[in-house]
Amino acid sequence: MNAYELIVNILTALGAYEPVLNIFKAHGAEYVLKVIIVFVEIVVLMAFVLVTVMFLTWMERKVVAMVQVRYGPMVTGPRGLLQPVMDGIKLMGKEDIIPEKADKWLFTLAPFIVFIPAILVFVPIPFGDYLIISDLRVGLLYIIAISAISPVAILLAGWASNNKYSLLGAMRAVAQDISYTIPLALAAIAVVLFTGSLSTVDIVNAQSGTWFGIIPKWFIFLQPLGFILFLIASIAEMGRIPFDFQESESELVAGFFIEYSGMKFAMFFLAEYAHLFAVSAIVVTLFLGGWNGPIPSFLPAFAVPLVSLVYFLIKTYAVIFFAMWLRDTVPRVRIDQLLNLGWKIMVPLALLNLLVTGFLVTILANGVI
Amino acid sequence: METDELIINLGPVHPSTHGVLRFKLRMDGEIIKDCRIVLGYLHRGTEKLGEMKTYLQFVPYTDRLDYISAMPNNYAYVKAVEELAGIEVPLRAEYIRVLAMELNRIVNHIVSIGSLLLDLGATTMIMWGFRERENALQLFEMLCGARMTFNYIKPGGVREDIPDGFIPKLNEFIDDMEKRIVDYEQLINDNEIFLMRMKKIGVISAEDAVNYGMTGPALRGSGVNYDIRKYEPYSIYPDIDFRVCVRSEGDSYARYMVRIDEMKESLHILRQVVDTMPKAEVVSSPKYGIAPMTGTASTVMTYFPRIFTPPQGEVYSRIEAPKGELGFYIVSDGTTKPYRVKIRSPSFCNLTAIPEMVKGLKIPDLIAAFGTIDVVLGDVDR
Amino acid sequence: MSGIIKGLIVTMKHVLHIGNRPTVTIQYPYERMKLSPRFRGLHAVDENACIGCGICEVNCPNGTITIVKYGTRWFPQFNIGMCMFCGLCVDVCPMNAIKMTGNYELADYTRESLIYTPERLLFSKEVKQ
Ligand code: SF4
Ligand code: SF4
Repeated sequence: MNAYELIVNILTALGAYEPVLNIFKAHGAEYVLKVIIVFVEIVVLMAFVLVTVMFLTWMERKVVAMVQVRYGPMVTGPRGLLQPVMDGIKLMGKEDIIPEKADKWLFTLAPFIVFIPAILVFVPIPFGDYLIISDLRVGLLYIIAISAISPVAILLAGWASNNKYSLLGAMRAVAQDISYTIPLALAAIAVVLFTGSLSTVDIVNAQSGTWFGIIPKWFIFLQPLGFILFLIASIAEMGRIPFDFQESESELVAGFFIEYSGMKFAMFFLAEYAHLFAVSAIVVTLFLGGWNGPIPSFLPAFAVPLVSLVYFLIKTYAVIFFAMWLRDTVPRVRIDQLLNLGWKIMVPLALLNLLVTGFLVTILANGVI
Repeated sequence: METDELIINLGPVHPSTHGVLRFKLRMDGEIIKDCRIVLGYLHRGTEKLGEMKTYLQFVPYTDRLDYISAMPNNYAYVKAVEELAGIEVPLRAEYIRVLAMELNRIVNHIVSIGSLLLDLGATTMIMWGFRERENALQLFEMLCGARMTFNYIKPGGVREDIPDGFIPKLNEFIDDMEKRIVDYEQLINDNEIFLMRMKKIGVISAEDAVNYGMTGPALRGSGVNYDIRKYEPYSIYPDIDFRVCVRSEGDSYARYMVRIDEMKESLHILRQVVDTMPKAEVVSSPKYGIAPMTGTASTVMTYFPRIFTPPQGEVYSRIEAPKGELGFYIVSDGTTKPYRVKIRSPSFCNLTAIPEMVKGLKIPDLIAAFGTIDVVLGDVDR
Repeated sequence: MSGIIKGLIVTMKHVLHIGNRPTVTIQYPYERMKLSPRFRGLHAVDENACIGCGICEVNCPNGTITIVKYGTRWFPQFNIGMCMFCGLCVDVCPMNAIKMTGNYELADYTRESLIYTPERLLFSKEVKQ
C-alpha cells in the first residue's frame, strides 16, 4: 500500500475517482490520470520536505539558543517563526558570485547534485500507514545508495571552487562519508537479518505489536549496539558537530562551500537539513518502530494514516532534537581521530554486532530455544 | 612516503586566529612541518604613543593593549609610574585595585576558555561564559563607568571609590560564579572528545617553556611554579592567602585546567579582599589623585595634577597579568612625557612558543594549542 | 561516554531552566539595560560652570576637544568620532563643568554630525543661591 493507492482510495470514497477515470478513459488516456496523481504526490512530498527543512533551520537556532540561555530569532513572526522565509528572501537577493578561477560548470552543478539526492532519499520512507511514495523492495539499499551520491557532489564543489580550504574540506568530507557508510550499512544489515526484507514497510511492520503488552517491539531493544552505531555513523555522515569536518569553520573557514554565495549556498544549506531530516527518519524507521504506536481502535479508517504520521513525526523530531542537543554539548573531534574511530572501533563493533545477530536469528529460526 | 609540500596561509583574516594573526604553514598533507608566525597586522604604535603622551594621558591607551583584561594593564603601567615617582598609595586604593584585577582575571579566563571551546567547535561554553562576563562587566561599569576600556587605575590611586551597592552585587557574583564554574567543569572537563583534542597535544616541556619566555597559565601548565604575585609580591598580595595553580603535564589540557583552577583561586582572593577591605575616605594619594569632591561643582575646584613630572630615571616593573608577566619599562628624562616606554607583553612572548609546540601536529591541533595559549592580538602587536 | 552524558545533562538543565539557569538575553532595541550612574557616554557641559579655560582641550589625549566661540562665550566642542570616552577631560576640568551622560547610541551617517557643537552639549544646572 502506498500513497498512490491511498489517493485513489480517498477519491473513490469521495465518489470522484470513477467519473474522473471515465473522462480520461473516453480519450483513451488513463495513464494521464496516473501521471497527475504521481505528480501530486511529488509536489506534496517536496512541499512537505521543504517546509520541514525550513522549520528545522528555525528549530536548530531555537534549540541552540535554549541551551545557551538565549532566545534565538524573535523578531520576524511569532517567536521568529518566519525567520527562515526571511533568510530565503535574503539569500535570493544576494549576488551570485562565481570565482574567476573556478570551474564554472561544475561549480554551478554541484549544489544541484547535492540537493536532488537529499529529496530523492525520501521516496521509500514510510511517513505513516500508507504514506509512502513507493515501497521499493530494495528500499534500504536505495537509501544507502542515494546518500552515497552526495560525497561526489561535495568533491565536485570543493574541487571546482579552486580553493585550498574547500578542497581540503571536500577531501575530508569524502573520507568521512566513505568510512562511515560502512558501519552504517553494517548496522542496518543487522536489522535486515531480523526482517528478512529490505523493504522499509516490512521493517516497520515487523516492529508492530508489543512484548508482554508494554515494551514495544522496536528494534532498538533487540539491537541496542546497532542503534548506537547507526546513530553515531549517521551523525558523522550528516557532517554535524562533533563530526563536521567538511565545514569546520575554525580550521577551514567554511570547508567546501567557502566560495558559494546566494542561492547556491542556500541549496547546500537546505540539503544539509533535508539530510538531517532524512537520516532521523531512517533511524526511526529502522530502530524506533517507524510510525507504529498505540492507535485507538475507535478511530475511523481514514484517520489512521494521520495518527501514524503524527507518531512518526514525534519520533523523528525526538531524534533531530537529540542531534541538535548533542551538537551544543560536544566539541569537534579531529579528522584522523574520526577515521580511527570509524575504522578501528565502529567497523569491528558493527561486524561483531552482525555476527551476534546472525547467531541469534539462526537460533530463533531453528527453534533451538 | 614523501609527498609534495603545501604552503597554507592561515589568517590574517581567519575565524580562529583571535584577531589578525597570520600563520604560514608548511604542510605535508595534514601534518604541520613548519610554522611561521607573521605579526604586525594590529600594530598601532602604542609604545611610541607612550612617548608622545603625558604620563597621565597614556593610561587609557594601556586599556587597548589586552582589551580582554584591561585592569591589569592599567595597573602595570601605573605601578611603573608610581615606582618611578615614588608615590604612596592609600591602602584602600590598593585593595580596590586588587579587587578589580582579580575580577578581570576571572573575566579573562572565561573568555579564554570560551573561545578555546569555540575554536574546537563547541559554541555553548562561550555563551555561558559571556553570561557571567556580562555580570562582571556590569560590576566594572558600576565601578568606573566603562565596560572594557576602564581607565580606572591612576597614578596615586583609583579614579573613584567603590559605589554604593557594589559589594552586595559583587558577593552575588562570587556566589553565582562558584556554581557556574561547576557547570563549566561538568560540560567540559570529562568530555571524551575534549580530552581527545587536548591531552598530549601541544606539549611543551618546562625547560622549553622557560627558554621561550613563556609566563602565566601557559608556563604553569608546564609545571613551573612561577607567579609574580608570589615571586615578587606587589600591592597587597603578601597579605592574601592564595595558591599558585600548577600542573605538570605541559599539554593543552593542563593549561586549560590551570585556568579553571585560577578562576577558583581568584574567587577566593575576591572574598578575602571584600572581607578585609579597610574603610577610608581617600582612594587616591592627595598629591597625585583627584582630591575627594565635596560640595557642588561650582563651589569647589578639584585638584588634579595636570602637570606631572617624575624625576629622571628608569624603571622596570612587572605584574602577573591574567595572561602572564606584563612589564613596563619606562625611561624618564624629567619632562612631562616619558622618554621611552617599552612593553613586555605576555601574549607576545607566549606566542613565540607556538611553532615549537605544533611541529608534527595537524591544523586542528594548532588551533587548539593556540587557543590554550590565550593571546590577544592587541597585546601581541601593540 | 560518561563525560559526554554529564555534559548532555548539564545542557538539558539549561534548556529546562532547572536550578536558577534562566534565559538572560535582553531584547535590545525593545528593552534596555540599566546603566550605572557612572557610565561614560556622551559628554555634557555645564553652561554656567564652564569658563572656557581650555584645560580639557590640552589634556585630551586624542585631540577630541576644540574650544569654540558660542554666543558670547567660549565652550568646548567635541568630535565624538575621535573620542575614546576615557573621562580624562572630566577629571581635569577645574570647574567640574563636564559630565558624561548615559547616551551611548552615537552612531551617525556623516562625520560632520559626529562633531558635537556646544549647542548640542550645553546644559544648565540650576544654581542654588
Ligand atoms: S569644560 Fe572645564 S576644562 Fe573645559 S574649558 Fe570648560 S572649564 Fe575649562
Ligand atoms: S573622554 Fe577622553 S578622549 Fe573623549 S574628550 Fe574626554 S579626554 Fe578626550
